Amino acid sequence: MEALPEFALARPRTIAELAAARAAHPDAGLLGGGTDLMVNIRRGIVAPKVLIETKGVAALRTIAAAESGFEIGASATLVEIAEHAELRRHFPGVAEAAQSIAGPTQRIMGTLGGNLCLDTRCIYYNQSQWWRAANDHCLKTTGTMCHVAPKSRGVCFATYSGDLAPALMALGAKVELLGPAGQRRLDLAALYIGESRHDGKGKGDGKNFLGLLPGEIVLRVRVEDRGGWRSGYDKMRIRRSIEYPVAGVAVALKREGDALAGLGIAVTGTNPRPVLLEGTEALLGRAPDAAGFAKLDDLVRDQIMAMKTTFTQGFYRRRVAGVLARRLVERLWNI
Amino acid sequence: MNDLTPRRGPIGAALPLVDGPDKVSGAAKYTADFLPPGTLVGRILRSPHGHARILAVDTAAARALPGVKAVVTGADCDKTFGVLPIARSEHPLARERVRYRGEPVAAVAAVDEATAARALELIRLEVEELPAYYTAAAARAPDAVALHEHRPGNVERDVLFELGSTAEGFAKADLVREAVYNCAEVCQNQMETHAALAEWDPLRGRMTVHASTQVPYYVHLMLARVLDIDMSRIRVVKPFVGGGFGARTETLAVELIAALLARKAGGKVRIVLTREETFLTHRGRPETDIRLKIGLTKQGRITAVECECTQRGGAHSGYGVVTILYAGSMLYAIYDLRAVRYVGTRVLTNTPPCGAFRGHGTVDVRFAFESLLDRMASELGLDPFALRRANLLTAPTFTDNDLMVNSYGLPECLDWVERESGWRARKGKLPKGKGLGMACSHYISGASKPVNWTGEPHATVKLKLDFDGSIVVLTGAADIGQGSSTVMLQAAAEVLGLDLGRFRVVSGDSDVVPKDNGSYSSRVTFLVGNATIDAARKLRHMLCEAAARLLEARIEDVEIEGEIFRAGHQDKGMPFAAVLTEALKDTGTITVTGTYSTIPESHGGKKYRGAAIGGTMGYSYSAQVVEVTVDEDTGRITVDKVWVAHDCGKALNRLSVEGQVQGSVWMGMGQAMSEEAAYHDGLMVMTNMLDYRVPTIQDSPPIEVGIVESNDPHGPFGAKEAGEGSLAAFLPALTAAVADATGLRIDDLPATPDRVYALLDKRRRQRGGKAAR
Repeated sequence: MEALPEFALARPRTIAELAAARAAHPDAGLLGGGTDLMVNIRRGIVAPKVLIETKGVAALRTIAAAESGFEIGASATLVEIAEHAELRRHFPGVAEAAQSIAGPTQRIMGTLGGNLCLDTRCIYYNQSQWWRAANDHCLKTTGTMCHVAPKSRGVCFATYSGDLAPALMALGAKVELLGPAGQRRLDLAALYIGESRHDGKGKGDGKNFLGLLPGEIVLRVRVEDRGGWRSGYDKMRIRRSIEYPVAGVAVALKREGDALAGLGIAVTGTNPRPVLLEGTEALLGRAPDAAGFAKLDDLVRDQIMAMKTTFTQGFYRRRVAGVLARRLVERLWNI
Repeated sequence: MNDLTPRRGPIGAALPLVDGPDKVSGAAKYTADFLPPGTLVGRILRSPHGHARILAVDTAAARALPGVKAVVTGADCDKTFGVLPIARSEHPLARERVRYRGEPVAAVAAVDEATAARALELIRLEVEELPAYYTAAAARAPDAVALHEHRPGNVERDVLFELGSTAEGFAKADLVREAVYNCAEVCQNQMETHAALAEWDPLRGRMTVHASTQVPYYVHLMLARVLDIDMSRIRVVKPFVGGGFGARTETLAVELIAALLARKAGGKVRIVLTREETFLTHRGRPETDIRLKIGLTKQGRITAVECECTQRGGAHSGYGVVTILYAGSMLYAIYDLRAVRYVGTRVLTNTPPCGAFRGHGTVDVRFAFESLLDRMASELGLDPFALRRANLLTAPTFTDNDLMVNSYGLPECLDWVERESGWRARKGKLPKGKGLGMACSHYISGASKPVNWTGEPHATVKLKLDFDGSIVVLTGAADIGQGSSTVMLQAAAEVLGLDLGRFRVVSGDSDVVPKDNGSYSSRVTFLVGNATIDAARKLRHMLCEAAARLLEARIEDVEIEGEIFRAGHQDKGMPFAAVLTEALKDTGTITVTGTYSTIPESHGGKKYRGAAIGGTMGYSYSAQVVEVTVDEDTGRITVDKVWVAHDCGKALNRLSVEGQVQGSVWMGMGQAMSEEAAYHDGLMVMTNMLDYRVPTIQDSPPIEVGIVESNDPHGPFGAKEAGEGSLAAFLPALTAAVADATGLRIDDLPATPDRVYALLDKRRRQRGGKAAR
């Protein structure tokens, strides 16, 4: 049995208290449902001296219709998101993604903020202290080598596995952040910087995957109802519950008559970041046909780069992402 | 022979398990729940090395840490332990060498978790690395260093037999096919992690150990051996146990280390292993490579079988010798085979030791055998049912390797699943992507010769009847969730004809209950059940004697019904209370002993070394039909439905039998579709419930259970085993269904979506089509 290390627990009730606690303890861990963080603490991966529980901040628990859209607070639970009737009606892709996360108990505990900031995962990382030491640690902790790609020269390939991020990104959601310098809002896609150089961008990687400034926290997400958009989410996993995605795909599309008028596709479970596919506009202006799907396959092949971070082979994760994307586009097109 | 015919009692009823309320309410206490005041925390330091010579284990700093009460290393115990007297290679804590990543090297007892954890960090292990072998092939390479000096070539055991002439058999065949199969290593992953509480009484020199074990008797034996104290000074308590599936048949290092620590600390030590440590302790089913060749006539009659089986056994002997023998001997006793050649090799590798796992030794070979039969049936244009029916045994009989088959319900199992699944009407007519497959399997009802042969009866049960009219069944049989306590209670109540509410079971405390050989190889219902019947008959006789005195009747005329003892139809009868008073008049509390021993005819043969393995009093039989949908774009197999018929001789408790059969199918589903012990350079990588993919309820199909009752002449009320035999058939039935749906033959397990996809992709390429990118 491994007992948890000792930690202090801060329980702010307001956003101001939360910001103050964060400022007072810049190294604190933010505790939403704890379904990921507590596992990592028990495994000795992280050992924050202070945990700040976000669920007590009532203002962050709301899911509310805002001018032409919805705002979801960072502390809204996954089950609340999955079962919110209005949200389901307007943005089924978001509700489907929430409903697909882990199992029922984790969805009761887990939060939007926790899922958006879910730590990246890797078979060489999500292991006990003993295991990681026996394997000479890795880049994401204290080691000097990436066991996934020993020649990666300092780049970590741990995989981002949150389900809500792609669903929201495909819909063009914005995220609102609060930090020492105040609030700011950016495209949710811009929160994720785990481009891993492999992608050719070079900002972050599997270790440094969130674009949060020091002391910054996620307050809420805002998704616009742009009218006429359909959305959906699907994922492959070996078992139908509990597991993180082998590959997860979110699609948002707009159909105008017999032509695609808008298309957003985001993929998770494959790269160190959720990937909002670039180049989907090439499919617009006509019905999704064989040529369009061939193009879609190309986009997936070029941008989805699953490395050996799970037991499931990388090539499969990429290909199944393509299959799910095509099927989702077909399903949403034909609604 | 057992001539009991259950009539009106609890036998055959669908009775909830007697210990269910305790488990469901949380009242049940498992080993980790026992924490007497002053108990120290035990923690184990495990080897990070796959294979290395130990130069030093420096514990000085750990011992000096305040709050550390004891530190033990291999130097504290030079005794080996192991389930087989002929193959004990393992020390509780490694000495001289470490042989797998995760092997216990040292252990500490401290006042709290944090101190124990800190103490482990202070222990320095100095080693000289040796070449490590993580696959059977690497360990068998000509220049490989031997893991154990007495096992050159890293072969724990090789088995070779040929019964009948396979050369002649293959010459007679119209179709001969050969194929290779691979089944990944799998883990039991029972709910409760391993735990032990050891209490040393320094004043009296006595040791009490609470252990999460399937066989308290083995723990008792091994404690005496490694502590080097007399067995009479040891008490073993088995509280509630959260599953076993074979992992806890052997005594595990955790129990022995806790005891070594407790004695050294002069007090009490509790060790509760993490899930990771429980996986590393392992004792799962070994990775198995099988090359199989079968000859068939056009009519489907099997003319010859040649089977080569290689098991990656891990770093220590464990059960290995028995596992590799089962894999060969259990080719028999399901079909009529006349020419069989078997070559088995159990290999020592630098991976955690494998052990006994539900369906011990039989499952992977059965997968290969049924798979090849299915493939050949389709080549010959034969229905898979017809092929099986062409090879049935006729009971009673002895197989060529001298296994005794007295009851054989396989034909009825085949009929049931064929009918219930609508096989004839539906096979070959399902929509694209859907398929039906079938297969069969079997298992023993307890080994006829226990591995620790002492000449005692196989099972001993005591019944105690006292002034309060209660009847206590005292048994050493370990209820580990399989329902043995319930069945013993039902059996006793059935024979005595008294109200079930009078009975209770006390088990699992060596100070109180008679010794039992333990819960493994599905022995308890058959062997302990018969002992319970024997005891109950003796008690019944004493009660009937007392009733006869009161009724002034002859004892053979006394009948018990509704707790009234009567002699003849007109008799008003005597209530149980009066008979009880009369029965206790001379002696007070009555205790009777029932025993059961297997008959020599069931002990297997002597035609080859180890031929006794496989011998049992009765074989269970299973037939299954599996219906699947295969998504060729993603490689995902969905099991839509399973029909399973199990010949358990007689269902003593229908609810329990159905649960056991469904559980077997479900566990087979895990091995077939998602479970796999994976390693990175010998480090087990999936040591948690997220990455070790036991199916979830979301993955579980409807499982229709048909109970076939062949009424075994020796079984208790005709019963045979129900808890293991239906596991193996699922694997080949699944892959046969996939073949029916897609034409694709899956020879390597587990059939995860990525593997299935890769096979489909390869086929697309071979067919010249464009493979997906």
